[in-house]
Formats: sequence, structure tokens, C-alpha cells
Amino acid sequence: MSTTTQAQTNGVFDAWVADGGDAPAGPDWLQAARRDARARIATQGAPTAKAEGWRYTGLRDLMQQDFQRVHEPVSALQPGDIDEALIPGLDAHRVVVVNGRYVPQLSALGTLPTGVRVGGLHAMLQSDPAALEGRLTQIAGAGCHVFATLNTAAMDDGLVLLLERGAVLQRPIELIHLSVGMDEPRVAQPRHLIHLGDGAQAEVIERYLSLGDSLYCTNSLLEIELGRDALLRHRRIQLESPHAFHITGLYLSQGANSQYDGVNIGLGSAWARTDLVTRFRGEHARCDLSGLYLAGDRQLVDYHMDIRHDLPNCASSENFKGIVHGRGRAVFDGLVYVAPGASKTDAAMSNRNLMLSENAEVDTKPQLEIYNDDVKCSHGTTVGQIEPEMLFYLRSRGISAPLARRMLCLGFAGEIIDALGNEALRQHVAEQVGQRLEQAPV
Amino acid sequence: MSALTEQLAREPANPNVDADGAYDHLVQSEYEHGFVTDIESDTLPPGLDEDVIRTISRRKGEPEWMLEWRLKAYRNWLEMPTPEWAAVHYPPIDFQAISYFSAPKRKQLQSLDEVDPVLLETYEKLGIPIEEQKALAGVAVDAVFDSVSVATTFREKLAEVGVIFCSISEALQEYPELVRKYIGTVVTPKDNFYAGLNSAVFTDGTFVYVPKHTRCPMELSTYFRINEAKTGQFERTLIVADEGSYVSYLEGCTAPQRDENQLHAAVVELIALDDAEIKYSTVQNWYPGDEDGRGGIYNFVTKRGDCRGARSKISWTQVETGSAITWKYPSCILRGDDSIGEFYSVAVTKGRQQADTGTKMIHMGRNTRSTIVSKGISAQHGQQSYRGLVRIAGKAEGARNHTQCDSLLIGDQCAANTFPYIEVKNPTAKMEHEATTSKISDDQLFYCRSRGLSEEDAVSMIVNGFCKEVFNELPMEFAVEAQKLLSISLEGAVG
Repeated sequence: MSTTTQAQTNGVFDAWVADGGDAPAGPDWLQAARRDARARIATQGAPTAKAEGWRYTGLRDLMQQDFQRVHEPVSALQPGDIDEALIPGLDAHRVVVVNGRYVPQLSALGTLPTGVRVGGLHAMLQSDPAALEGRLTQIAGAGCHVFATLNTAAMDDGLVLLLERGAVLQRPIELIHLSVGMDEPRVAQPRHLIHLGDGAQAEVIERYLSLGDSLYCTNSLLEIELGRDALLRHRRIQLESPHAFHITGLYLSQGANSQYDGVNIGLGSAWARTDLVTRFRGEHARCDLSGLYLAGDRQLVDYHMDIRHDLPNCASSENFKGIVHGRGRAVFDGLVYVAPGASKTDAAMSNRNLMLSENAEVDTKPQLEIYNDDVKCSHGTTVGQIEPEMLFYLRSRGISAPLARRMLCLGFAGEIIDALGNEALRQHVAEQVGQRLEQAPV
Repeated sequence: MSALTEQLAREPANPNVDADGAYDHLVQSEYEHGFVTDIESDTLPPGLDEDVIRTISRRKGEPEWMLEWRLKAYRNWLEMPTPEWAAVHYPPIDFQAISYFSAPKRKQLQSLDEVDPVLLETYEKLGIPIEEQKALAGVAVDAVFDSVSVATTFREKLAEVGVIFCSISEALQEYPELVRKYIGTVVTPKDNFYAGLNSAVFTDGTFVYVPKHTRCPMELSTYFRINEAKTGQFERTLIVADEGSYVSYLEGCTAPQRDENQLHAAVVELIALDDAEIKYSTVQNWYPGDEDGRGGIYNFVTKRGDCRGARSKISWTQVETGSAITWKYPSCILRGDDSIGEFYSVAVTKGRQQADTGTKMIHMGRNTRSTIVSKGISAQHGQQSYRGLVRIAGKAEGARNHTQCDSLLIGDQCAANTFPYIEVKNPTAKMEHEATTSKISDDQLFYCRSRGLSEEDAVSMIVNGFCKEVFNELPMEFAVEAQKLLSISLEGAVG
């Protein structure tokens, strides 16, 4: 990174924004955005325990780590090395990002239909920065907390997916984000941009994985812009190392009549924070977010949602389910905001939790802020345990208690797993969930 | 909803948009209870320092420990920041511009005959004739006019069964040890900014003690009035229900029309010991300010009940239609095993009213249960937030909570927010939260109109149906009053 983007930070995050090695400085507008971000970091600093957005999500463990930025791309990996990370039978255009770097030799793009461009962010910044202007850093804006600002200030490489007007991807794009263990804790800050032109359609499967069980931090940020009538199916599977910290922000900007269908599966990492932010640019757009999270022993899973209805006739839904066991903790904080002019808004939020152990904790906060009377808004939350009657029913049919519990948990999770659609992916996730439940002392 | 009244609701400051003026009387329906009684008051000059607190304590003839307690609270309050987290907006309050003591000059009355006739007249204007109260449904009234109790009825009848029902000043003199044992144990002076201020300067309030295994023979009631301009009213209510006892307490308020903002920072503490039950009902109709939001009461209240004993029960029911700003969260700490907490609320905001209200249910004991039913109605420029916390501690085996918050929006300039916080640390807990936001549908209105009801009556009927669950929890006389109040409140707000 060029010295022009250097600025004073208050010290806490110096290592996060240290010189990024061979990353391109980018065009002037990007440099300006990054300078702004650095200035904001200096004033923002690390969130305190009193900050409302971090009320239930302690940052102490994260801030205690001495993370270093990843400098060199990982070149030692050969295509055969990532076989264990692949999903059998998943037919997709594959993009592999290792420790925040796009690695072409591991990726398998195959033949792309006309009107579809896929590439690495750094490469695109050098070859065709104009294609990113007005989108990169613009969709997320200031972001919702300092980690988004950090990503903007120090962005690593990532995926750029651009679909021209009317382009349709038949096969999904699979974005594998791989973390490879290193001697000392590393922070990678991948940055992705997806733009779908008017009427374009695509499916993106985004996966976070690690080779080995090392401690690291991923601070990723995605910007997605959907044109009029565009349709994006987005599947996000988080299976980071059990010692990892995972922060991800998704900033979505939807044009008129566009549809976003997102399923979030959060199974891995010791500490995970996800922010989903939606803004509507046109009427009759629809945003559906669903999710399944498993928080096992000493795991923390945090989903924050900020859905803002500024325009009339848009619809949004959030359907999140969680299973918490051991000393696991789950945090759900959803906000639906309906502006005064946003008549005929249809918004529904639901968060259901299954709590399986004495020391687990669920903190949930489904919020509605409504400034219009012509709306249909609701939210519901439940926290409960497995019904003894259901367990008895299965036991009386000769099924062992642990298996019966697992069956009931899988039944609870099934609704979200089925929503994944893609059969190979669905099987993969069902297996992962099953395995985790098997290891859990449920 | 007719386009005309919709337009009116949007421009409440300019009622002349309606050429023939047919709706003017509705939109401009002024505060019914707006009048000021001219009566000489013994008032301290505005300002707050330790000397003011010493003066208050001396004039009330309080024991030394009480003064120390007040001073400690005051010193701590000085360090506290003004809270800014609530979704309400108002100019900063100048605490030095408030007079902290105001007492009608004639005190120590033995009977109603000695009460200043002007005062009695005031009560009658408010529809609270004290003489008639005796006969009416066995309600004993400890009427508070500004800050000092001037008349108390039914004391003897209550004394027969051993129930203590008096002003907190009297209690401090007659039962100092009882007060000392319980005051500040539910809401400590350090609890929050306004509770701290109240602890330092409270001038009056009510004390109730129901002895063991006693069912209070009548519903106890205090009517609040704020009269003196610039006098903040700092009430302190302490209700203790000893083992196996039951008491129902009613609180109702109205206030005269004034341009000055009047701060009201009360503290209510309820303590229920083993098998005791306290039912606390509120109808609040303080002056909400004019149509531009000028004037009106700031109602910053800390209300909390402590289910200290096993199988105890505390139930809060509130109907909030007044005040420029309401900021209160009647809460229950469910400490005793098998204890029960309930919160039933109807809140109406119209004009420029703002309300940030809700409850906290803290489950600590085993098999504790809580129910929350909150109904919010927002009209014109009304801003309303439900803010609630349900916390189920790790040791609260078998805890159960059901929460329902429904909002009804009338007009497109109002707001209804829901901020529920749910924290569960025990796997045997069962916790459900539901919330909906809706408006009165055209179908509902059409159905009523086609059966010959006027639009206003139809809306009133639908709104009353919406609130029925809460009204059912109110004592009968209050329920009737509350329904009437709701209809009056929504006059001119619907269209």
C-alpha cells in the first residue's frame, strides 16, 4: 500500500492496517475512501463493552490477540491439496481465496456464459478499475462498525463478480475462502464485490474453511448490488477452525423488483460475528434471509441484522434458528426499520432457539422501528428445550436417547438446511450439522 | 380512514384546513382537566444543593439516618451522567430551576372539614369527591396535592386489621424501623439517574404495610396532582406485603394545564414476601402538552417489584394516556421460587407525545413465571417504543415467560418501535416473544360503519377490543374509567 494512505490510528488496530505488501494502491477514488477509513479508525477505536452493538458479544478475547497481517500469497498449495475442502458432486465455477488472496491456480472457473466476469479484486483494480467505481466502498459506505472500516482501510484481495444486464449463470459460483495455518495469528481481510445488472440471475455459494485448527481472524466484507429484476441466491457456509475469530459484513443494495435469497449457516469458529445490512433502492424488492447456527462449547455466534425499508412495497423476512449447547452462546439482534414513506412494507422476523445445556446462553433482540401505519410487520422469538413428550415418543420406539435428541435437533434445523436448495450442498451441510451434534454431549 | 381527517392528522398545527370546521372541535380537543387552583403554597426557592436537602429533611422532621441516606444519594447522583439511551427527545433539564419543596400551608388536618375548601373543589372538578369516595366501592384515598398529603380516609378501618396506609413522611416518624428496613432495597439510590435524584429530594409519597396473613379489606388508592408551577414532584411509594397477605393498589393521576415542563421522577418499590400478592394498577393522564408539544409532564419513573418470597406474585397494570414524555419500566424481580410477575400495559401517544415504556422480568428463582402483554397505540405524531427485558438466570430452573407486544398505528406520521431484550441462561426455560404492528383495517371499519356506527365510535370500539386483555386486569371502577379515558384520548386523533 502506498504511503499516501498512511494515517494515524489510535494504536489498537495498527497491525490490522499495517502495510499490505504487494496490494495495489488503486485509483484515486479508492485511495480517498481508504484515507477516510483510516481517519475514522483513529476516532472510532475499539468498541467498548457498553456499545449497544457489542452488548452481548465480548471483544476481549479478540482484542487480546496479537494479529499480524498476511503479506505474501500462499503459493505452495497445489490443486490436490484442497481436495478435502471440496464438496463431492457440487458442480460450480470455483474461486479460491487463500488467506485473503485470490489464487488462480486453485480456482476452476470453467466456461463462463457471456456477460459474466469473474476475477480477483487486486487484478481488477489494475486492469479495469472503472468497472468497480461507484460500487466498491460505495455500497457499504461507512459500514456498521469499526471492523468494516478496517476492511475498507486495509482490504485484501477477493472475488469480483459482475453480471451484465440479462446475464444468467446456470451453475453456481463457489467462493471458497480458505485459511491456512501459520506460525503466528494472522488476520485476513478479504473484500468481495458482486454486481448483478438488470434482470441478471446468479447463485453464489460462499464457504469459509480452514486447513488445520489454527488460530486466526477473518474479517471479510461483501458488497452486493442488485439491478432491477435481478435475482441472487446466496448461500454462506461458515466452517472456520474451532479456534478462529470470524467477522463478516454483508452490505446489500437492491434495485426495484429485485430478489435476494440468502441462507446463512454458521457452524465453525470460536467467535463469530455476522452483520447483514439491506437497503432498498427501488420498490417491490424482496429480501429473504434465513439462517442456522450451532454454538457448541465455548463458541459464540452473533448475527446482527439491519433491514431498512425507506421505500414502499418492499418485503423482507428473517428466519433464524439456533441450537446452543455446552457453554455455547448465541446472540441475535435484528432491526427492521420502516421509514415514514414506506407504505405496504411486509416484514417478518423470527428467531427460534433450542437450548440443550445448563451453561448455554441465548441473548436475542428482535427489534421493530416503524414510522408508517400501512405496514404488515411482525416478529417472534422463542427459546426452549427439546420437549420431553417428543423424546418419550422416540424412546418408546426403541431409539436411544442421544440418537433421539439428534433426530429432534436435525428436525428443528431441517427447515433451514432444506432452504439451501442445491442437493450436494444440502447433503454436505446436513452431514456437518449431524457430526457436530454427535460430538456434542446432547 | 377519510382523506380529510388524514390530512388533519398530518397537519395538527393548522386546523383551518377544514373549511367548514366540522372536525375542529375534535382535533383541538383540549386537555379536560386543565385548570390551576389558586392556593398559597409554602415553597422553597428553585435550586438544589445539600442545604436544600437538609431543609427538606428538617421540615419533614426526619430521623438522622434518613438525612444521611439522602445526602449519600445526592453525592452519588452528582457523579451520574444523564441517561440518553431512550428513544425520546427533549431539551436538557435544568435541575437548578426546579423548586424541590412545595407544601400547602395548612397541614396536620384531623378531618375533611379542615381541608381548604378550594382544594376540595379542585378534587371535585377532577371527579374525585373525597366525601363520596368513602361510600364509593370501599376505596380509601390518600390524596396527594403537590407534595404533602392533606387528607387520608379510612385509616381507622384499615388500622383494625393492622394495615398501615399513610404518607411516607408520617411513616418515617411513626414506623421508622419498618421504613428503614425496606426503603431503597428494591430501587437503590444508585439504580439510575432519576431514582438517584428522587432518593435525594423526595418529599412525599405513600407507605403501605400489610401484615402477615392479612387480606387488605379494600383497594387502596392515591390520586396524584401536580399543581405548583415549576415544582417537580418526587414521590416515593413503598408497599410491603408480608407473608401470605394481599393488597391491591390504585394510582391515578391528572394535572392542570401549564406551559412549563414539569418533571416527575417518582420511585415505586414493591416487596412481596412468601405467598404474598401485590396488584398495582395505574391510570396516568397527566397534561400531555399542547398540539405542538409545548408544556406537558416529563414522567420519568422507576417502578420495581421484588417477589422476595416463595410463591409471591406482583402484577403491574397500567393505562398510560397522558404526559409529554413517558419513560417507565415497571419491573419484577422474581427471586422467590414459584413466584409470578405480570405486566399489562396500554399506552396511547398522540399529538407530540413520546413514550418509551415496557418492563423487565428478571427470573432468578425456580419455576418462576412471567407474562407480558403490551398494547401500544400511536396516533398523529405520537412516538412510542416498547423496551423490555426478559432475563432468565442460570439457576432459574423451569422458568416460563410469554411476551406479547402489539402496536396499533393510526396515521402515517406516528411511530411504533419494539426493542425487546431476551437473555436466557437456563435450558429448561420456556420463553416466547411475539410482536405485531398493524393499523385499523378498512375491512374492520367498513364492517362497523355498515352497521350504522360512526367512524369515531367504530374506531373506539376496535381500539377497546385491541386493549381488552389489559382492561380485564384492572379493578372494575378503573376499567370503566380507563375505557372512557381511551375514547377521549383518541378523539380527534382518528380519521
